[in-house]
Amino acid sequence: MNENPHEADAFSSHEPCLVKTQLFEGPLDLLLHLIKKNEVDIYDIPIAVITEQYIEYLEMMKELDLQVVGEYLVIAAELSLIKSRMLLPKPVVEEDELDPRAELVRRLIEYQRYRDAANELIGREILGRDVFKREFDMSVYVTEEEVELVPVDLWSLIETFRDFYRKRSNLWAEQIVFEVESLTIEDKIAEVLEKLKMKAVIKFEEFLEECASKFDLVVTFLALLELARMENILVVQEAHGSPILISYAGEPNIGTY
Amino acid sequence: MEPTDIKKAIECIIFVSDQPVSVDKLQQVFMELEKGDIRKYLKELIQDWGALGRGIILEEVAGGYQFRTDPAYSEYITNFNKRVKKFRLSRAALEVLAIIAYKQPVTRVEVESIRGVDSSGVINALLERRILEIKGRKEVIGKPFLYGTTGEFLEVFGLKNLSDLPTLKEIDEISKNLDTGISSIPEELS
Repeated sequence: MNENPHEADAFSSHEPCLVKTQLFEGPLDLLLHLIKKNEVDIYDIPIAVITEQYIEYLEMMKELDLQVVGEYLVIAAELSLIKSRMLLPKPVVEEDELDPRAELVRRLIEYQRYRDAANELIGREILGRDVFKREFDMSVYVTEEEVELVPVDLWSLIETFRDFYRKRSNLWAEQIVFEVESLTIEDKIAEVLEKLKMKAVIKFEEFLEECASKFDLVVTFLALLELARMENILVVQEAHGSPILISYAGEPNIGTY
Repeated sequence: MEPTDIKKAIECIIFVSDQPVSVDKLQQVFMELEKGDIRKYLKELIQDWGALGRGIILEEVAGGYQFRTDPAYSEYITNFNKRVKKFRLSRAALEVLAIIAYKQPVTRVEVESIRGVDSSGVINALLERRILEIKGRKEVIGKPFLYGTTGEFLEVFGLKNLSDLPTLKEIDEISKNLDTGISSIPEELS
């Protein structure tokens, strides 16, 4: 079910070169295309015809790219199920039984609804495409003393940790250390607070750099997250992208921990 | 301070800002003024700039005010400055963005159930680009992240706020006009 790696890079300047991703964004996209191509009413889809064409497309795709077919197969199975349900004679008891296609139609229309919205969004005057704003280096205007600190969002914190973790993992991969891991988050919290009492502001990365093992690294990160959650530390930076700074904010409230 | 001076000072602040300047931020500078007064000056400024008929437009965007270029001249700007940050969004990213913009806060699974395809890669790319952000966690099993759009999203798409988003089409309108679908996204962006 993994997505095409090219797709993840949504902002890359290199367009994905696979024919498949250029054509369809997924099984629902393909289905809508077939409904349009056959000029049929979405509320009265000729399931047999559409299913047949759908599977033909899958065969074609299979030859181009095997990876994504999994998601398409789910809908293929659904189509086959609907097809067989429609072939079955209706039980006499239930007069107003739901059309077996109803759920699929609902999904298709909902998907189309957001696709229309996406079209409308991209039709707007886009910053960096149609309109431009002034771009300049604000740091020129800011002197050391008046730096305004902004709170760090969780994503930046995780990103920094992830990058650091990757860097260190490579380093540590070569050495195998046997040790009994006895460090707890509580220990780490105490250690962090101790350090912050000695030095008012410490860089986030500095904490990570002092770690001796992957385990230590993870425990340190969790301890910092916990302290931030309990509002015992402040996690700030001067601007997005600049080093993340940790400072002491108040006594730990172990009771809620 | 004379009203004309206040207006000019507001103009200067907007001019030197790299982000849209909000009424709140302006009030921190002009503490003697009511927010309503500041809004009045801003409205006048927008009209003044419009009446001048210049290549620069003062616009209300992302909860603030910003000077932007007239879209008619985008071509010359990109030709002049090759280093200018080009806006690119894949069709997948755009779909994900539309779903999240309208349904926020929303989980990845909810996005995927509408699109029918795995969307984690696209969501992460949009997070890194700061067009999306994590808004919290949903109180269900596994506590998945809830995603929403950022101020940068509003800025990029030139929206005043979230309620400035175009209204979603009615269901019956969509089923009648299925062919307004995918084709209208410009080539370069798909």
